[in-house]
Amino acid sequence: MTAPYALLAAALVGLGLHGVLAHAEPLRRLLAFNLLGSGVFLVFGVVARRGAAAGLEADPVPQAIVITGLVVAFAATTLAVALLLRLHGGDPPQD
Amino acid sequence: MQAMPAGSLVVLAVMLPVAAATLAPLLGARGAQRAIVLGLLPASLAVAAAIAAAVLRTGAAIPVHVGGWAPPLGIAFGADGLSAAFLLTGAVVMGATAIFAGRTGLGAAAGTGRAPLAFWTLLPALWAGVNLAFVANDLFSVFIALELLTFGAIPLVCLDGSRETLAAALRYLMFALLGSVLWLLGVALLHGTYGVLDLVLLRGAVRPDAATILAAVLMTVGLLAKAAVFPLHLWLPAAHAGAPAAVSAVLSALVVKAAFFLLVRLWFGTLPALLTPALAGLLAALGAAAILVGGVMALRQARLKLLVAYSTVAQLGYLLLMWPLVLATGPEGAGAWLGGVLQAVSHALAKAAMFLAAGLIAAALGDDRVAALGPAGRAVPLSVLAFALAGLSLMGIPPSGGFTAKWLLLGAAIETGQWWWALVVVGGGLLTGGYLYRVLSSAIGGEGEATAAVPLAPQAVALGLAVLSVGLGMLPLYSFGLVQVGRPGMAP
Amino acid sequence: MTAAQLLVVATPLAPLLLLAAGLPRATRRHLPALLWLAPLPGLAAALLAGGAPPLVLDPDRLRFTLALDAPAALLLGACALLWSAAGIHARAYLGTGPGAVRFAAWWLVTQSGSLGVFVAGDLIGFYLAFALVSLPAYGLIVHDGTPAARRAAAVTLLLAVLGEVALLLGFVLLADAVPGGSIAIADAVAALRGGKAPDLAIALLIAGFGLKAGLLPLHVWLPLAHPAAPMPASAVLSGAIVKAGIIGLLRVLPLDGSEAGWGAALAAIGFATAFWGVGCGITQRNPKTVLAYSTVSQMGLLAAALGLGMAAGEPGAALAIAFAALHHVLAKGALFLAVGVIAGLGGWRAMLLVLLPALVLALGFGGAPLTGGALAKAATKPLFGESLAATLAALSAAGSTLLMLHFTRRLAAGRGAGGVAPGLLLPWLLLAVAAMVLPWVLYPRLGLGDPLALPMPEALWPVLLGAALFAALRRWGARLPAVPEGDLLHPAERVLRATGGWGAGIARIEAALRVWPVAGMALLLLLLAVGATLTIGAR
Repeated sequence: MTAPYALLAAALVGLGLHGVLAHAEPLRRLLAFNLLGSGVFLVFGVVARRGAAAGLEADPVPQAIVITGLVVAFAATTLAVALLLRLHGGDPPQD
Repeated sequence: MQAMPAGSLVVLAVMLPVAAATLAPLLGARGAQRAIVLGLLPASLAVAAAIAAAVLRTGAAIPVHVGGWAPPLGIAFGADGLSAAFLLTGAVVMGATAIFAGRTGLGAAAGTGRAPLAFWTLLPALWAGVNLAFVANDLFSVFIALELLTFGAIPLVCLDGSRETLAAALRYLMFALLGSVLWLLGVALLHGTYGVLDLVLLRGAVRPDAATILAAVLMTVGLLAKAAVFPLHLWLPAAHAGAPAAVSAVLSALVVKAAFFLLVRLWFGTLPALLTPALAGLLAALGAAAILVGGVMALRQARLKLLVAYSTVAQLGYLLLMWPLVLATGPEGAGAWLGGVLQAVSHALAKAAMFLAAGLIAAALGDDRVAALGPAGRAVPLSVLAFALAGLSLMGIPPSGGFTAKWLLLGAAIETGQWWWALVVVGGGLLTGGYLYRVLSSAIGGEGEATAAVPLAPQAVALGLAVLSVGLGMLPLYSFGLVQVGRPGMAP
Repeated sequence: MTAAQLLVVATPLAPLLLLAAGLPRATRRHLPALLWLAPLPGLAAALLAGGAPPLVLDPDRLRFTLALDAPAALLLGACALLWSAAGIHARAYLGTGPGAVRFAAWWLVTQSGSLGVFVAGDLIGFYLAFALVSLPAYGLIVHDGTPAARRAAAVTLLLAVLGEVALLLGFVLLADAVPGGSIAIADAVAALRGGKAPDLAIALLIAGFGLKAGLLPLHVWLPLAHPAAPMPASAVLSGAIVKAGIIGLLRVLPLDGSEAGWGAALAAIGFATAFWGVGCGITQRNPKTVLAYSTVSQMGLLAAALGLGMAAGEPGAALAIAFAALHHVLAKGALFLAVGVIAGLGGWRAMLLVLLPALVLALGFGGAPLTGGALAKAATKPLFGESLAATLAALSAAGSTLLMLHFTRRLAAGRGAGGVAPGLLLPWLLLAVAAMVLPWVLYPRLGLGDPLALPMPEALWPVLLGAALFAALRRWGARLPAVPEGDLLHPAERVLRATGGWGAGIARIEAALRVWPVAGMALLLLLLAVGATLTIGAR
């Protein structure tokens, strides 16, 4: 049941890692990083599902981690975009 | 469950700086500064000292289950001797930096606009991050600690908004995020395999199967990236050299140390069953490469702050020598363990002193080229003295904390017949002596005039940190019993 | 703590306390005038506390030890006297400006280490004192700020740090050999053979201490640093500071015959150094450089005596060597001060007040009868035995006579006019008298024998041979090639410069790693490497 998701997660992690490591352009790396993050969150989904299948009812830990991780990834993307904007012209209005 | 006072102290160690970071925007820059220097600093020192006293008194680690949730569900904290030693070091360095920043501002470029408020908000956030890393006892809390450090450190690096610091911050962010995501992936694999995140429970459960090994690989490399271990150190020099002096001090002294601390926790606390001599050798070889490359690069830098930053790369390398030495000496070998921890602590104090002193020297001369340090000896003699004392500790000249640390590491290397690590230790000392000589010979007795006056108080802060780093070496070894409490291999 | 132990403790602390007292702005300008006081507790300790029971802190575990045995007391007394006399000279030589205060600070720190090595009885304390006598000497040498002084100071510092490294490794090996946690030097030396790599330990210790004592080929800093330093600093460098190496060798090398092979090796190094110093010294024109090479030669002779003592298993060798070293401390310190004095004197005053006493001291180095040096030679003579070593020792005495006559000639060439301050003249005369008289006072008291019963003609022929050689040097000396100060250093520097490309290579690697895809690859490789170490070596 969880096999397709696990495969998808592995593919996302692989693609993301390749993108982060092999590309020089910061924006591409940022996108690849988000792909990588999605893959990791999917791994947690698979883990939770497996736990449920093994009779461990509604393990809240993976959910908590994924939610935290999503917030962190969003914040990190925002920070990176802000840095990129300041670096490459297009300064956002100050104060 | 056990709501004993020692446990609440551990929670307090994290919550106090969190509270300060939350309140700072409401208080404004000046109010936050006052609250941190007058409130958070003494309170944190007291809490760290109380934790150390409790650990020393009971001779055992303090376990805490936040909110009373027992593992595997709840968040687990804990403080053993190692935690207590690092909490104390953190409180001293953070406190000294806060006093320093309060007395000097943040330098001309960074002292305007929103920068002061950002500094006084993010400094306690970083403080919370390092303290959480030191007491976290489950993988999820560690992840939170790592993120707190990332998001606290990166805006601080580019506080002055110049192109160079923005680029350095972006590079730092990339490495930090990569480290975080590798760590998280490892957490997912471990949770999927064992269903627990608690470090103590994991220690009892781990088997050397494929998923566990993959998780260990990912988490280790993630931490290596965050600890700026060669060859993943490339973000460090620009980031640490570009930031204002107070920020550099905290980043070099504590933030990279937190990642190192977690690496120690991971391998000696949680996964000792997986630790192979080959991995220990690889880590130490990376450390040796860091000592060589960091030292040579420090010798070649034209700017003082870059030189100090590369020195951090080199000094972090010593810490990795712990792995083969502790592994080979086994449970009875306390020397290598203490040597590694002492190296981390004395480097934290010495490097903070060096960055603060370098900032003051640059402020006094309006120039931080090593070749132009001539007037420093007369203009800011206390800062030069602080730099020299800190440097002697890094170099391992007795009596200093750095000397005791290197003596112990050397002794362990000889005792276990791994003489090549002994050569690395002394060779690194020579390189350290080399770049120290470049700075001091230029700063003592040269020509030229200072361009600005520097007050005495911040110089005294830098000197105080350097004296502490040297003073560590005056204590007899058995007074470091604290560090051994809860040492893996000693207690069940 | 008894009064004697208190003196021993005060020996290394007094200079530091004086420095601390002189740091405040109000008292700072008095510091140079008080320099001569700092070594007095050390002098008192040497006179009163020799052989006092050692002071041991933490006797059950680490055994931090402060002790003063008879050989160390001889050296400590001589060095303290020299430091004090040179302190008076320094006050007159340097005046009272801010430069003098800075010099005084370096002076006192170095002095603390220089006197401390004689009383430190444990590995850590000795290493600390040795670092204090080695590293801050940089500030004394660099004081004049000339390019030559800066270069000499840099070379000295580099070699001193290398010596520290060798000693640190040697000490760690020593400490590792001791069962239990004791760091007392005596315990460590006794356990040396049972430890790991005892031969490596001895080699490292000989290298580290030999460097300080000026043994070939690590002597190169000496003829650079001693001429470049200000006059009083040269005197203590050549007189007192090199003795840190001698006491180090005496402390760590067993004299019970257990390391006979190393004894023979040390003797060979010592003799080579003794002749090398003479050979390089006679080509020099600067009297201070000649003196520095004479120090190299004399320390070589002491090392040879020590090596022979080791080989033969002569526990009494330590006292004899310390006695000979005592004469060298006083005489060599005095002669350096003479170079400073003669610049202000001319005519008969120069002849009477400087050249005549200097000639007596100079001939003493060759062992001319009735001088203090004759007794120094007599004390070590039994160690050289009757065979080849004795002949070599006599030849080296002839060489010393030659070199010191050459020095006296160069000294005479430095005569000037304009008068000389009493603060410069008195310390010189005091030390000169001490170098002539003290050996005669101490020789019978130490149980070395009756000084008047020594055979005179036997001691005379090396002096006559040396004088003949000197006549030849005057006649044909101009044909000798001039050896640059620091002889072997110059080819070594060329080799070092050729290896300077390594640093650039590392910088190129660093630059390449910084490009992103390369950094990414490094991370990927690291992942694979960590994975490999975990799977391949798994238990």
